[in-house]
Amino acid sequence: MTDAQALPGPLAGLRILELADEKGQFCGKLLGDLGADVVKIEPPGGERTRHVGPFLDDIPHPERSLSFWYYNTSKRGITLDLQTADGRRLFARLAATADVILETFRPGFLASLGLDYEPLRKQNDRLIMCSLTPFGQTGPWRDYLSSDLLHMAAGGQMASCGYDEADVPNAAPIAPGGGNAWHMGGHFAYIAIMAALVHRTVAGQGQYIDASIHEACALTTESAIASYIYRGEVLRRQTGRHHAAGPTPRTQFRAKDGSYVCALVAGWLNPKFVKDLADLLDSYGMAGDLKDPKYQDPAVIAANISHIIDDLVANFIASLPAEEVYHAAQQRGFTWGAVRAPEALLEDAHLHDRGFWKQVEHKELGRSFIYPGEAAIFNGSPWRISRRAPLIGEHNIEVLHEELGLSRGELAVLAENHVI
Amino acid sequence: MSRLRALENIRVVDFSWVRAGPWATRWLGALGAEIIKIEWPENERGRLPSTTTPRNLEVNLNTSGNFNDTNVNKKSLSLNVRTAKGLEIVRRLIAVSDIVIENFSSRVLQNWGLGYQALCEIKPDIVYVSMSGYGHTGRNHQYTTFGPVAQAVSGLTYLSGLPGEPPAGWGWSYMDDTGGMYGAMCALTGLYHRNMTGQGQHIDQAQMVSAVPLNGPALLDFTVNGRGSRRAGFPPGNRAHWPGTPLVNNYRGPTVAPHNAYRTHPGEYNDWCVIVCHADEEWQRLVQVMGAPSWANAEKFATVAGRLRHQQELDEHIEAWSMTLGKYELTERCQAAGVRALPVQSAEDRVEHDPQLRHRRMYLPMPHPALELHKVQNAPFELSETPASNHLPSPLIGQHTREIVEGLLCYSHEEFRAGFADGTFWPTKRARFPYMEEMLQ
Repeated sequence: MTDAQALPGPLAGLRILELADEKGQFCGKLLGDLGADVVKIEPPGGERTRHVGPFLDDIPHPERSLSFWYYNTSKRGITLDLQTADGRRLFARLAATADVILETFRPGFLASLGLDYEPLRKQNDRLIMCSLTPFGQTGPWRDYLSSDLLHMAAGGQMASCGYDEADVPNAAPIAPGGGNAWHMGGHFAYIAIMAALVHRTVAGQGQYIDASIHEACALTTESAIASYIYRGEVLRRQTGRHHAAGPTPRTQFRAKDGSYVCALVAGWLNPKFVKDLADLLDSYGMAGDLKDPKYQDPAVIAANISHIIDDLVANFIASLPAEEVYHAAQQRGFTWGAVRAPEALLEDAHLHDRGFWKQVEHKELGRSFIYPGEAAIFNGSPWRISRRAPLIGEHNIEVLHEELGLSRGELAVLAENHVI
Repeated sequence: MSRLRALENIRVVDFSWVRAGPWATRWLGALGAEIIKIEWPENERGRLPSTTTPRNLEVNLNTSGNFNDTNVNKKSLSLNVRTAKGLEIVRRLIAVSDIVIENFSSRVLQNWGLGYQALCEIKPDIVYVSMSGYGHTGRNHQYTTFGPVAQAVSGLTYLSGLPGEPPAGWGWSYMDDTGGMYGAMCALTGLYHRNMTGQGQHIDQAQMVSAVPLNGPALLDFTVNGRGSRRAGFPPGNRAHWPGTPLVNNYRGPTVAPHNAYRTHPGEYNDWCVIVCHADEEWQRLVQVMGAPSWANAEKFATVAGRLRHQQELDEHIEAWSMTLGKYELTERCQAAGVRALPVQSAEDRVEHDPQLRHRRMYLPMPHPALELHKVQNAPFELSETPASNHLPSPLIGQHTREIVEGLLCYSHEEFRAGFADGTFWPTKRARFPYMEEMLQ
């Protein structure tokens, strides 16, 4: 594994230009963490996503946004004002050297600057350009405004998430947090870009990709669409478990420490499962009557589902810390888990075994911070964070002077005129 | 539609089942790869049990609607890989393939003698993607997941809900969908790398692990600032901030108000709209859309700080207005004025009422030999030169066994028939579907 870590990432050699706010920065991070040279192009003064908290030590500053830090690892950063003629000319020169442009401007914006795909392709026919926008480049909602919450509403996430009436009467549908609409869009955009790159290895030509976050979200509710198309069902929200056409038994139980356990029981209640469950509960002296041989009869099980779930399993979990239930159950083959707050993951031994947490150096602060690492381990070309997020214009000299060949004098003029 | 596809001439051996793996290969198929799904009716998981079989059809291995939507663009080879003969056929298939994808528990393929080293002997540049619950390394590699468990253990479930209430969680297996995304992403990344370098590799993707990076800002708030998520006012429901609790960012973009779901006319189960104002100008536009009511002119609502402080009252006023409009009408009025608003949409809403998805041809009907004509979900992106498309309905179980065994692997028809007789291609004691009898002719 140490050897593999020294290898270049799978996307080494690719040059990506990223013109992205919250909608596309995660896709750019994926490309960068997987080895591509991602050059993030920000307006002079920095992308507005730098103003999203939380901030380092709660001091708001465009170089201290933890959200920006997280979503912009493994990128270099330059500043460029595309609204100026000089900025446009420089961008066109950069585009001539790029493999992929990832942009999240409102539809038509780049075309209004003469920087849409067609003119850029004329000077670089291997160029791939992905426009990742809320609704795509066409259609009646094309110019609608959005946000994470808006996408989770229209995409169908909220219609599936919420509470049992008994738990929270009249509850609104709930949008899970964390900015996952942008993740859903970013995953699909990554797939589309990679497909175009694979195709280019064979065909030699680039292409244009019109990706829609709304559609990505609308695709991400598991079987909800099929339940409607094939059964006409509209599903109901339930506390901490799957949406369903009719009520299903609970799967989320409060543990002794006040946190919860996700324990899947109802759909699995056959005699073998009940015997294993009795053994698990019995190892803590909590089996109650479950070891009675009568529970090897499926009819008896069926008649006692509520007793097994709401009495025996609920009492068992209520008597122990959530983490202990999780591990004891998994070690006996139960697909159960503790409902953890994110920070609990820092203590997860399994993630440590996988080398998941990464120290990322912030040299200008003289400090390193722990970041979450890779979703998968590649044994021949590692997925890894190569650097912290760029400071504003950090690589202007490296990219524009050393690589693109502008003189230092030209750079100074561009800075004086707020082009960079 | 004879256009070139992005993954033309790429062949994928797909051992995956249930949802995450099949969702991954569905998209590789839509992009043009030939997906050969290896199945065995005795331990099939994904076709049965089915809760999405149309009411007028018998529930059997070929009538699950959800299976159909999850497995378009694939071929099915029914094969008992737990026999020497079955394993030999798998080896011959892998020898002419580019990618192997499986989502078994961590040691299954190794136990069949098909670990990565063994695969390399068959096909040196194979891209082997394993999609397990916890990965192939790490002390808990033998633990198992379903979507809800991966979501719970990774911290995702905790981010959803109202403060002081149990987690609302995710009402579906988000990490089956998303695990599928990572499976497809890894396969494509490995394939690109192979095309550039000639080297294959093993990619150990894990559902529980893939979920953790989706909590990035929350994790950094802890590792950098020492602030955990177990705190007053978190998670803040649909709001960016819960009134009366310390003012901190809750990892959903800017901290603003209004930022909530509001009931709409006529107040049925899914009659809700969300409204968000990112700036004072957006708030002022919303005030105009609401008809400039006198309450909205109060000084306390003029600034974002004031709106956050008086959020409860603000939300009650907005909901009194939103209840007078249907959710689509409210959306159109707001958006026409430059206000962020969209309806909460059920599956029915998305398929029947969403004008954008209709315009973008998201759900197009596709015939299926057992299910007849039903809408199937399309790709959320358009590639100008190599568009993704649904070109095959989901396969009937074993539908392509003869085509693959005789056509691709060059076994004789006699050998194919012998494989049916000895239980390699179908359990000898199990009734065959009519299309299998035809194959044997």
